[in-house]
Amino acid sequence: MKLVATEEERDLAAAMRDLFTTHCPTTLVRALREPGGERFPQKLWEALVRAEVLALPFAADVGGSDGTLDDLAVVYAEAGRALCPSVVLNTIHLGLAIDALAAPDRRAARLPSLIRGDLRGTVAVASPYDATDVRPRLRAERTADGLRVTGRLDYVGDADPADAVLTTAAVETYGEPDEVLALLVDPAAPGVQLTPLPTSADDRWYEIVLDGVLVADDAVLGAVGEEELRRVALTVRALQCVDMAAGAETVIARTVAHTCSREQFGRPIGSFQAAQHLVADMHIATQAARLAARSAVFWLGRGRPGVRETAIAVLKAATAYRRVTADAHQLHGGMGYVLETDLHLWSERARRLGVEGGGVDVAAGWLA
Amino acid sequence: MDFALDADQRRWLQEVRAFLREHVTPALVAELAEHDLEKRDGELAAFRRKIGEKGWFGLNWPTEYGGLGLGPIHQHLLVSEFERWGVPGPDLTVTSVAPMIMRHGTEQNKAEFLPPIARGEMVCAVGYSEPDAGTDLASLRTRAVLDGDEWVINGSKIWNSGAQRCTHEWLCVRTNPDVPKHKGISVIIVPIDAPGVSIRPLEAWSGYRTNETFFDDVRVPATNLIGEVDRGWRYITGALDLERGALTNAGDLRRAVDDLWALAREPRRDGAVPATDPGVRRRLAELDADVEVATLMGFEAASLLADGTIPSVEVSTEKVFTSELRQRIAETALDLLGPDGLLGHNTAAAPLHGAFERLYRAAPLLRFGAGTNEVLRDVIAQRGHRMPSYGR
Repeated sequence: MKLVATEEERDLAAAMRDLFTTHCPTTLVRALREPGGERFPQKLWEALVRAEVLALPFAADVGGSDGTLDDLAVVYAEAGRALCPSVVLNTIHLGLAIDALAAPDRRAARLPSLIRGDLRGTVAVASPYDATDVRPRLRAERTADGLRVTGRLDYVGDADPADAVLTTAAVETYGEPDEVLALLVDPAAPGVQLTPLPTSADDRWYEIVLDGVLVADDAVLGAVGEEELRRVALTVRALQCVDMAAGAETVIARTVAHTCSREQFGRPIGSFQAAQHLVADMHIATQAARLAARSAVFWLGRGRPGVRETAIAVLKAATAYRRVTADAHQLHGGMGYVLETDLHLWSERARRLGVEGGGVDVAAGWLA
Repeated sequence: MDFALDADQRRWLQEVRAFLREHVTPALVAELAEHDLEKRDGELAAFRRKIGEKGWFGLNWPTEYGGLGLGPIHQHLLVSEFERWGVPGPDLTVTSVAPMIMRHGTEQNKAEFLPPIARGEMVCAVGYSEPDAGTDLASLRTRAVLDGDEWVINGSKIWNSGAQRCTHEWLCVRTNPDVPKHKGISVIIVPIDAPGVSIRPLEAWSGYRTNETFFDDVRVPATNLIGEVDRGWRYITGALDLERGALTNAGDLRRAVDDLWALAREPRRDGAVPATDPGVRRRLAELDADVEVATLMGFEAASLLADGTIPSVEVSTEKVFTSELRQRIAETALDLLGPDGLLGHNTAAAPLHGAFERLYRAAPLLRFGAGTNEVLRDVIAQRGHRMPSYGR
């Protein structure tokens, strides 16, 4: 039991912070939201591939670097600070899902190209309203030409540039219980219809409707159980909690910097006790979030089902990030309200990550 | 970061639990319920002797001082378990006074005071606050003047808890009135039975007994001064940080939330079962999550202590969080229990012998005691985030 970062963790964090500072400035984050602008952060992606970040949580047999989920948490913290675009993180989620769910030959066929940066995609195995609800939304039937999949997926992130969407489908066989298959859907395949559901912050969510879409045999990853699907969904949620806690820390730092330089009544506004106490409460909430999030990732990485730990992480992190961004707007005043200060970028991420996969009310339901 | 107890820590926890299972007898529980800590030569005294026999009063001391040399995580685990079981363990003498003597005391201080503390024979009350010096502790006025080879002490202390059953005071005194206030403070050990010491009891709303203690021309050997004269402020702030860390353990809060869940699943006098109400379950879930967080904060502070620092910001964060959580637990219990939650321990029908009724009265103390939360918020902002001090 030692709740202090190891030297390796500090080194990894420092390296990642440099990488994101260089390749993921807020100008990139804003440029990706421009209509008609870049859709994919190519230079950031290449930097991450070069730094072997995509290899980190995977085993050497598929070209990974045998790192742990805890190592990935260190990356996610720095990603959260820098507002790393979801299109990057969703591919890491795809990798985690393939690693956990695919049959060995399918895993060996797909992960190496993902680790090299050549396979990009996203995951849709749980309800966007509740990460513990992993009932399949799609139905599949075995026909003469192969497996045909039908149904609708809601709020799938970054489906448009994806090579593959990992999702699940229930297969009915007369007289047998339903089997659930994990499979990779190509969003460009015939019978797939994407309808954008962008958030007001221009996060690229999609409704995906499948109408008898033919899924090739090598895109079927295997039969999967409820427990393993839930662990994948909760692992993503726990990593998002790490993102939220670190984002909140960054917002506090920006807020303190502002209040220490902004003077009114002849002194920095940060010298007023009311301002200091707001910051102290932001700090307390953020530390609670950070510890709870890291704990959830730790225990998921060691094989626990993770429902309780992730519930606690969501309760703390969703609340902290939202509260910190709201209080940051309060302490920045008008200066932080204008778009050019960028503060709203963290506020919007807090809003989205706070509910994607279930917010505080849903998480409290996982606990009680 | 490692969130799992290692084999040695797990073995230690099992040893502590086995001790508590064996020695927390119904007789001890009954004596504590009736007399709190005040009964001499009874079950509590026997219990403390057993703790002393294990060497646990010096559990976190270096072996060269007669301790077991166990680290802050071991101490944290033991204190948490004792709190979960509702019994007193190694107190402030062990957890905050002795470490300051070890860190800052003269060789004479260490030779004279550490062995009896380790045996559980020397128990200190901490004399900090005065009627006019609470949060503004540095303005304290109790005066010590050197007369030959003795200090002569005059003044008074308030909130001097435990004076009635201690052997000595860890007394904070002004030794130099001619320098800035926090630069003229020292710490002197004063035997409680020294001529001139008198104690007046004060009863708090929670039923907690504390004291106002008076010092009239009390004389003690000059060697009772800890460390160096006029350097006491550092020893005090160090001791306070350690005290804060020990006091803000979440052990009793884990027990409280577990007990509250159990109560919520039982029918009230009117037959309703609170836990069937989703609103009740929601509040309990949030408390459950917050107790987990408080536990993690405690382990984080202990981890930093193990690395050799006194983590003021982390301890301040933990203290604010746990004290306010304690109040939320008490309020949730009251709302959940309704009128049943007002029955005191003298009423047979009181749920859990009135434990939550008492918690409601006890909760306010730790929000202002052991460092009032407003000042600790200043510490978090100023020491944690370098926001400018404003002259407090």
